[in-house]
Amino acid sequence: MNGTHRLAQIPPGVQCFVGEEARRRRLVEEAVVSVFEGWDYEEIIPPLFDYADVFSGEALAPKTYSFVGRDGNVLALRPDFTSLVAKIAAGRLRDRPAPMRLFYSGEVVRYEPVKAGRQSELHQMGLEHLGGDARAADAEVLAIAAECLDRLGARGFVLALGHVGVFGGLVAGTGLDAERLEALRERVESKDPEGVRQALEGAAVPAATTVALERLTAMAGGLEALDEAARAFDFCAPAAAAVAELRAVASALRAAGLADRLAVDLGEVRGLDYYTGLVFRAFAPGLGFEVGGGGRYDTLLARFGRPLPAVGFMLGLDRVALLLERQGATSKSAPAPALAIHGGELGAALAEARRKRADGARVRFGNGGAR
Amino acid sequence: MSLTVALSKGKLLAGSEALFRRAGLPFPDGEGRKLVVPSGDLRFLFVKDMDVPTYVEYGVADCGIAGRDVLLETGADVLEPLDLGFGRCRLVVASPAGSGFAPDRSATTRVASKYARVAAAHFLGRGLAVEVVKLAGSVEIAPGLGLADCIVDVVETGRTLAENGLEVQETVAESSACLVVNRASFHARREEVRRLVEALRGALR
Repeated sequence: MNGTHRLAQIPPGVQCFVGEEARRRRLVEEAVVSVFEGWDYEEIIPPLFDYADVFSGEALAPKTYSFVGRDGNVLALRPDFTSLVAKIAAGRLRDRPAPMRLFYSGEVVRYEPVKAGRQSELHQMGLEHLGGDARAADAEVLAIAAECLDRLGARGFVLALGHVGVFGGLVAGTGLDAERLEALRERVESKDPEGVRQALEGAAVPAATTVALERLTAMAGGLEALDEAARAFDFCAPAAAAVAELRAVASALRAAGLADRLAVDLGEVRGLDYYTGLVFRAFAPGLGFEVGGGGRYDTLLARFGRPLPAVGFMLGLDRVALLLERQGATSKSAPAPALAIHGGELGAALAEARRKRADGARVRFGNGGAR
Repeated sequence: MSLTVALSKGKLLAGSEALFRRAGLPFPDGEGRKLVVPSGDLRFLFVKDMDVPTYVEYGVADCGIAGRDVLLETGADVLEPLDLGFGRCRLVVASPAGSGFAPDRSATTRVASKYARVAAAHFLGRGLAVEVVKLAGSVEIAPGLGLADCIVDVVETGRTLAENGLEVQETVAESSACLVVNRASFHARREEVRRLVEALRGALR
């Protein structure tokens, strides 16, 4: 490989930000972190890599950059914060009483084709609420997500709520094999009722379930979709229970003045495999992809030996920065012009610069004191 | 801001126009070669059929009309709430007529196609070794010239295949035109998208 070519190129999937762009990202991060701290979350800075089996979930494992350490252990760069935070909460922090409120901000690395605004290196800002009352924690986390986007000046955003227990409840006990289940899930996600019908063709699934799965593709929109869902799924106890959970959380958020920010999307059934309950994604006009999302994961911590229910969410810094740029909502962040300090004698000039700095001025120290 | 609709300049254009007119929705009148055309409270993009899902996936268009064949090939992450019924065709494997086509498990089958992803997935999914020769068009001539053993392509009537001495061996997928919607627009512009979907649904009955 030709050396000059390597010097000029960066590998696809990673990015580099300079000056104004870097500064804008920093301001976004600071705004989000101040909201997290305002809700009494403590920062956690987890390690950059850990043993690969920490990230052994079906969805993450194939996307993980892993390598063999000097001692022969298989290690992996973090593809996600949630698994790491869960491990630390169950291990090093096992004597801390629940609920624990932890936030993080940093990069994760994933093998992803560079597509649809997705890079291999992603900066995530998020939090995890471990233990405590589930409904209260769900509502809190959604309110924090809304406050972050409000604080950043994002316009017209919505949080689309779903629940993995709706689809999960409807297909439980149908005996569909894994391949057909995956095809079905994929068609529900695409909101394609015709495709759902085809995916179920010839399967021994009760008629009521088939109809319910087709209707699932249309159960998205305003909060009224939850009322419709409650009626449509009352024949299936687990699905009905999931809808009831969502209604309880939605009604709390409505009472707190967030009704305009909520949407429902019961056909949103994908996502990381550790989710067990409420899930949500944040969308805003001007960006074709979600800016963030999260959900409840009540079984992940048990994997690390401390069974605790948990919920969390994250915003993608890259996506948020792009959204704000598209919406023209980036703050004019350029700092005040620096005071140029020159002087005949280097020591005197440096002393002058230090005095100005002590007064809080921004200085540009002259080239060795010369003009 | 108006909703943006991506349409294919290709074979789905006439059906799309007929549907929009039947639904009482705006549609541009003979704007010639312009590719971005506002009409009423909509804005239309006229792009290549393979590109419609991409414009919609990235949210540059809020919705669009694409064939399922194209959706399969691009693998775009978009919503597909409405099958529009027109533009019916099949994606098939075709090979020289009378050749007794049987992809041999011990040899690599060479397949020419515009649908490289679909073709690879079809053969690999059955445990066959395959080499896909990606072409941009005139795929039918590839087997006759020795470029490939077979092709994967769309057929409506099968006439083009017959004229090039090919016959259908198997169907890979059925296709028809489909309304596609961007995931973010679906929520962030819920009312406008809902009105458009309902207008089109009404025109299908």
